[in-house]
Amino acid sequence: MQIVFNILILFSIYSLIGLSFSLIYYTSKAFYLSHAAIISLGAYFTYLFNQNLTFPFYVSITFAIILSIFFSLFLEILIYKPLRGRINHSFLLLIASLGVYIVLQNIISLVWGDAPLNIRIIEIKPGYHVLGAYITTTQFVIIAINLLAFLVNVFFYNNSKLGKKIRSISTNNELAKVFGINPNNVIIWTNIIGSCLAAIAGILVAYDTNLRSTMGFNLLLYGIVAMIIGGVGSIWGLLSGAFLLASLQQIGAIYIDSKWMEAIAYIILILFLIWKPLGFSGLKLKKTEI
Amino acid sequence: MEYLLHIFIIINFYVILSQSLTLTAGYSGLISLAHAGFYGIGAYTTAILPVKFQLPFLATLPIAMLISGICAVIVSVIALRTVEDYFIIITLGIQVVAFSIMNNWMDLTNGPLGIPGVPSISIFGFAFESKISFLLLTLFITVVVFLLLRNVTKSPFGRILIALSEDEIFTKSLGKKVYHAKVASFTIGGMIAAIPGVLYAHYISYIDPTSFTIDESIFILSIVIIGGMRNLWGSAIAATVLIILPEALRFIGMPSNIAANMRQIIYGLALVVMMFKFSKGFISKNYVGQENK
Repeated sequence: MQIVFNILILFSIYSLIGLSFSLIYYTSKAFYLSHAAIISLGAYFTYLFNQNLTFPFYVSITFAIILSIFFSLFLEILIYKPLRGRINHSFLLLIASLGVYIVLQNIISLVWGDAPLNIRIIEIKPGYHVLGAYITTTQFVIIAINLLAFLVNVFFYNNSKLGKKIRSISTNNELAKVFGINPNNVIIWTNIIGSCLAAIAGILVAYDTNLRSTMGFNLLLYGIVAMIIGGVGSIWGLLSGAFLLASLQQIGAIYIDSKWMEAIAYIILILFLIWKPLGFSGLKLKKTEI
Repeated sequence: MEYLLHIFIIINFYVILSQSLTLTAGYSGLISLAHAGFYGIGAYTTAILPVKFQLPFLATLPIAMLISGICAVIVSVIALRTVEDYFIIITLGIQVVAFSIMNNWMDLTNGPLGIPGVPSISIFGFAFESKISFLLLTLFITVVVFLLLRNVTKSPFGRILIALSEDEIFTKSLGKKVYHAKVASFTIGGMIAAIPGVLYAHYISYIDPTSFTIDESIFILSIVIIGGMRNLWGSAIAATVLIILPEALRFIGMPSNIAANMRQIIYGLALVVMMFKFSKGFISKNYVGQENK
């Protein structure tokens, strides 16, 4: 039973991060690796407000999320927008965002140090005993927030005007422009939603385990793996990808060894890219048409 | 003086590494983040073979290059199923898997404890134990690699690589074997990347997996990008600057942990600036004009 809960928790974290990343990826068609820094920034801003400035819990979380969103918008407007639309832009954006990530990660480790930090406010409890498994309050919150975020997103994606715009831009950028949709505005909106989700995920992981300056990168890569094996462009595919990744990692951790968890994730990615490059959903991917 | 020699030796390692990646990433456009993996394969072959089988340096060097080359062929066959940014992501995945194997396969690599006691290089009875002799040896190898790569990139094969990175379908229509050229360039890059690994293991005489992480791959790729992608001299200069930089910062009086972070911040910023500067086609820089001169 414990393993089911573990899978559920990992799945929630991966799918939350995958969702936040893929929203931006659908519209801008570029791998923003600096998204990893937004995840860590969310957690570290919470630490700053809660521990260093001793603000109340909810206030500091709200501030942290808002600050992370501002940060991501700042990067988008200052760096990524001028680069988009140039020759070979997906490569330029990937490398530029890698540079941004390196800078932000090192600034974090300069300010807060490399040692893992802890922001648990509640004293450590053994957790609840549910169906023969132990689960902590934070982990309940992780699962609940993931469910909520996912439901809201599906609803919003299918029913709101902005959701329609996002879908139109992600399927056919040129045609969307003809119909008078400004891609830059839509990308800014997806940035706001995506970085909000990313900051939430960062804060949740920070409360569940601890903070490290490099925490965002691994989490983001797992989110990307979930997105790719699920098939880019489909929310249900993303969920099944995150579920497959989480369960194989947990099963591998039990039957082989937990130290191979990282390798398992990437071996799954490599196998999928070899045999099923379109992922579960089978939606057509720009990158494999050549 | 010893310290200066040490820095020069490290610079030579990174010059070889970045030049081998210049061939793969710059000329044929295969931006690979798995380069530290090949570096690690070289180092681990060197650490395992002489310690277990008492092989001399002149035997381990070709063996390490061969093993690294075989791995590079396998990796390129897997990775070349994808293009552009997916290629970068899949090589990143391969790098993590390679690191994970080095870190976790206790029987072969001794895991995070590393392998101590790699003997120093000796060729025909002459032991390269002093720093100055080792520096001369690495310098010699660096020059050989440089000349080799310069000839490769100026040869017809090098022109195929430039052509395929600019327009793959057009190159194919000229009857060139694009896929073979890509695999070959990736393999040559991987084989050459094993050389500094061999030298590194002999020089430090102790290796552990933390020297071959994804950060290392990113660093090597940054050197190539900052050096101007298709520029062997440029990447040599960039490697020199980026290695000397933290030492220089420490010299000014910055604590060493801050200097390490500062170096990363500077090369991160350099990457972003580079993307702006070269965005008008830094893959299609006017190379045709240079060839015609």
